[in-house]
Amino acid sequence: MNFLIRQIALKSSGEEIVRPSAVEADAITIGRDGACDIHLPDLAVDPFHARISPLSGGKLMIESIGDQPFDVDGRSTTRRELDVATGAELAFGGHRITLSADPETGAPTFTVRRVEAVSESAGDVELSTAFTLKGLLPGKRGSAWAFALLMLVAFLAIPIWSWATYQPLALQKDARRPAGVHGDTAWSSGHLSVAHSKLQNDCQACHVEPFVAVRDNACLTCHTQDAHQHIKDGARLLKARGEPQGFAAFQRAVATAFNRPAGRCVDCHTEHEGAGAMPATRQQFCTDCHDGLKGRLPDTKISDAADFGTAHPQFRPTVIVGMDGEKPLLQRAVWTDTLKENNGLKFTHGQHLSKVNGVAQMVHRRPGQFATNDSLGCKDCHKIEAGGTRFKPVEMEQACESCHSLTFDQVGGTFRTLRHGEPEQVVADLRAFYRGGAPARPANLSGLARRVPGDAALRSTAADYARAVRFYPTKGDQAVAQVFSKGGMCFDCHTVNRGGSAAAGGFTVQRVAQNDRYYHVGWFDHKDHRKTDCASCHVKAERSNDASDLLVPGMDGPGGCRSCHVGEAGAKLATAKVKDPVDSGCAMCHAYHMDSDAPWKPADKRKAPALQTAVADRPRFPAILK
Amino acid sequence: MATIASKRRTGASRQRTSTHEGFLTHRKGRWLKISALLAVALIALYIFVPLPGQHFGSTWLGYTLGTIGALLILWLTMLGVRKRAITPGRWSLKAWTSAHVYLGLLLIVVGTLHSGFEFGWNVHTLAWGLMMLVIVSGMFGIWVYATLPRALSDNRYDEDGAITEKQMVEALRSIDRQIHDAAQPLDSEAAALVNRSLEEDPFAGSFWNRLTGRYPRDATRSAASGLRQMRANKPRVADDPIEKVDALLTRKEAMLARMRRHLKLKSWLQAWLYVHVPVTFALIAALSAHVVSVFFYW
Repeated sequence: MNFLIRQIALKSSGEEIVRPSAVEADAITIGRDGACDIHLPDLAVDPFHARISPLSGGKLMIESIGDQPFDVDGRSTTRRELDVATGAELAFGGHRITLSADPETGAPTFTVRRVEAVSESAGDVELSTAFTLKGLLPGKRGSAWAFALLMLVAFLAIPIWSWATYQPLALQKDARRPAGVHGDTAWSSGHLSVAHSKLQNDCQACHVEPFVAVRDNACLTCHTQDAHQHIKDGARLLKARGEPQGFAAFQRAVATAFNRPAGRCVDCHTEHEGAGAMPATRQQFCTDCHDGLKGRLPDTKISDAADFGTAHPQFRPTVIVGMDGEKPLLQRAVWTDTLKENNGLKFTHGQHLSKVNGVAQMVHRRPGQFATNDSLGCKDCHKIEAGGTRFKPVEMEQACESCHSLTFDQVGGTFRTLRHGEPEQVVADLRAFYRGGAPARPANLSGLARRVPGDAALRSTAADYARAVRFYPTKGDQAVAQVFSKGGMCFDCHTVNRGGSAAAGGFTVQRVAQNDRYYHVGWFDHKDHRKTDCASCHVKAERSNDASDLLVPGMDGPGGCRSCHVGEAGAKLATAKVKDPVDSGCAMCHAYHMDSDAPWKPADKRKAPALQTAVADRPRFPAILK
Repeated sequence: MATIASKRRTGASRQRTSTHEGFLTHRKGRWLKISALLAVALIALYIFVPLPGQHFGSTWLGYTLGTIGALLILWLTMLGVRKRAITPGRWSLKAWTSAHVYLGLLLIVVGTLHSGFEFGWNVHTLAWGLMMLVIVSGMFGIWVYATLPRALSDNRYDEDGAITEKQMVEALRSIDRQIHDAAQPLDSEAAALVNRSLEEDPFAGSFWNRLTGRYPRDATRSAASGLRQMRANKPRVADDPIEKVDALLTRKEAMLARMRRHLKLKSWLQAWLYVHVPVTFALIAALSAHVVSVFFYW
């Protein structure tokens, strides 16, 4: 049989070169060996790979010589019948053989082409990229876009979306976001302070409007009760601070340009500074305005203050200057060593605290009844308040009466006492006492008794009786007069005047007012000074024998605050002698928000329970027993 | 990098003379000095300037450092644009690169001082972290640029002089053609082995293979060892085609090893940029979010 074989090679220009040959044989072989009729120089092809032999009816049989398969029309096989007229495509390794019928003779024609390169390296290599990491790693441009987009979505778009979702909750005191993760918390620059920790998720609670710095109305949404303005007129406050100079003026200008007005709550109350308590106010915040305040606010009533140790105005305690009916009249007065306060009482601190006189003797004789056994002490009369800050008013019944007894009668083993604080009752009790012991009517004045004959005895008895009856009430009045006069029970301690009602025997006892807080602008806490002897500060107490002496210490001199307290940085006057200096910034005694409570202190420095200083505790009026 | 003048094809000696001043030592380290001076000045400012409050980022110095840092980041990014236009002179690309390196290192000081050392799980610290990642990857880049090119040159040189990347591919093609021809007489089993070597893409392998230079399932080596095993059991004959193929495979292995070493070194030279560049853009995006967030929740 005649077979036509057309070997096609490619020129470098891509042009085909055809090398035809004819084989006259019973069968032809395909393989890598040079002896094969169709020689394929291809390592993927067996030396003798397949044999093609004619069948009847223009058909051919192709079968594998070894067991190696080959492809016919894209299917792998080892044996297949081929129709010359229809044609077929055979594939051996990198070669493709097309079977067709010769148009003239009809002889089977095999067109052989190499379709794959000899080796992988012989293929096209893009030199500009083959030696780079291109294709092995995600492209730089692609990943740059991807990362950037991820950042913008996660940390810009989602937070803004969170803000937009919960913005309606702004300026509502109790509105809280649902629990969970909120995108804009990724913007938080740090933990909120302990007091605000519940707002950690509620950015909108303070950040109300976008691109608008936190304003006071956000703070005042919750702080309706406890945020007192330093002074009501904010403009005055700014004026007190003065116009910033130099670099500070530039900073102010930049802040204003960036929509950060000065004078907001958050100027001082900075947040996002960690989960601790808010830091204590530094002296600088106060002295920015108060140092040289008069120069900037000429009409201010407040004196300049720069540092407690060196530049602080003299104290101005609030003292009782008189009585308006039942109410004491209070007035602030500049403290001096000789300042007086009349509270209506007569009391001799020096005499009572003496260790040698009759008072001390009395204490000696009643051991166990007083704080010490050799003399009276301060706390025998002055009892501390529950919070420990100040003292309760001295109560006569507890403090004085154990010695200054109001007893006037004894019935069996029971002592009768006059009622303290109620002059009318005192007068009535005394009159009743003397009336109850009225002279008995002589028996001979009654008609039925036996009597001495004649009228002389009767007349004498009647005259005696009439005199006794007539003079008896005078003794009651004398007793009343005596008790309200010098040497009397009331007079010893109280200021007693004439001009009272008849029921009070014509006397008036001046109301007593006890001042429980002298320094209202500054804060003084006895609790913080409990390890100090009372007399260290109240130095005059042991010498004063006039109740109107003001024993409250001032700033300078013996017992004055500057005996221990120096400026924030330890500054003190040359004249001050300080043994153990205590550095004292403004905030130790003064609060910015002007309420009556203690100045704010950092949480770690609050030792005692909350102080109870209600307005009702202010100057207490004399006890009126009901 | 270092330009290397060499006597080509003398076969006797390879003499290298470096007439080059790298970007690290440009103008005796002018930018190194400038950056070091600025760093010392900024640290001194941070320590000694009295500031109100504690939150450093929102003080005037904090805002100033933040602005400087952001502008610096944008300028440093501009190297990507600048490097595509090579010009000589004061603002030559080399000068620009030198400034890029040293001002980039200065950014560690600027950015960290701006943070006031307050870090947390937020967008602000994220921006700082990305910045540090970019800078550290850049430092790694400088290190490989400073050390690897010499190894790269050493690998390319042999007694015949330097070989280019194109020549490496050509050499492999040539060896492959010779192997193909020499393997024609082999039986089908041996031919299949050899063919596996031919069909292997010399550039194949993962990023990991490139970085380590290890290719555990290399077809050329397994073909060579397979052929040797076959030959061991056969009697020696003259003109054994297997012997010729074996010799050719050994040559191919050497050539491949050399090219792969080249690929490894080039990978190290390039890989850091796959962190440096994309993270730079992530940084710019995070920085934008950082800046917007500060003003949004002002």
